[in-house]
Amino acid sequence: MSQPVPPEREGFEREALAHLDAVYRTALRLTGNPAEAEDLAQETMLKAFRSWRQYQAGTNAKAWLLTILRNTFVNQYRRAKARPVTVDVTELEPFTVFQDVQDADPERTFFDRLVDGDVLRAIDRLPEDFRDVLVLSDIEGLTYAEIADVVGTPVGTVKSRLFRARQILQRALYDYAVEAGYITRRGAP
Amino acid sequence: MSEPETMDCGAAANRLYEYLDGELSPAAEAGVRAHLAACAHCFGLFDFETAYLRFLEARTRARGAPPHLRQRILDELLFDPEPPPRP
Repeated sequence: MSQPVPPEREGFEREALAHLDAVYRTALRLTGNPAEAEDLAQETMLKAFRSWRQYQAGTNAKAWLLTILRNTFVNQYRRAKARPVTVDVTELEPFTVFQDVQDADPERTFFDRLVDGDVLRAIDRLPEDFRDVLVLSDIEGLTYAEIADVVGTPVGTVKSRLFRARQILQRALYDYAVEAGYITRRGAP
Repeated sequence: MSEPETMDCGAAANRLYEYLDGELSPAAEAGVRAHLAACAHCFGLFDFETAYLRFLEARTRARGAPPHLRQRILDELLFDPEPPPRP
């Protein structure tokens, strides 16, 4: 027995469910746990489906879905158990490692030696406010204005958090590459 | 068309990510471009940061939703007690 697919469901599948990869990826970075990420992604899609009527064709479906996702996460998943923050932003000078790399590794081979897991782990260790804007920008490609909508802060705040997040992450990856022996620290013998 | 802004290294570096993200006004963008054309150091920095952002994207986008999740969601929508009203 096959039921006809109602047109609104078809529209939802085409325009919203098409972004499931982005929704799941972001859920995984926010929760840090594949099972929770699946639940969060599913709940996000269900909420989106129920308010599908309010969705205006032509608005950015991905940014809208990620807004629902983040609100759901903040209200239900984060709870009291804060994930351990292992990077203290005040200890890290946010500064490009360009000069260090330029001297020690002009061919930038250290990028090539870092694998997906190295980078994702370093992102997960960023403080939450910084991680959120970096995930939305650098993984999901949202504009500053879209990110401001998703996280509910002014564009100027997005800009400064993104700047610091990128450089803190870059510094962390550089330090990791040095420890792993992929690159020699500048000034080291 | 407005004149490009005149920028030194500090001013250009301050606009680094806005430039790479395509978030600058046309005048500011033209100003950064003019500075990069004249300054090899800043050109190297911007080139490095471009490579860094490309590297980040390449290392983080490989993973998508597991195949069973899509089916799980479709099943749930099919039996959702609150289907959206027809337009």
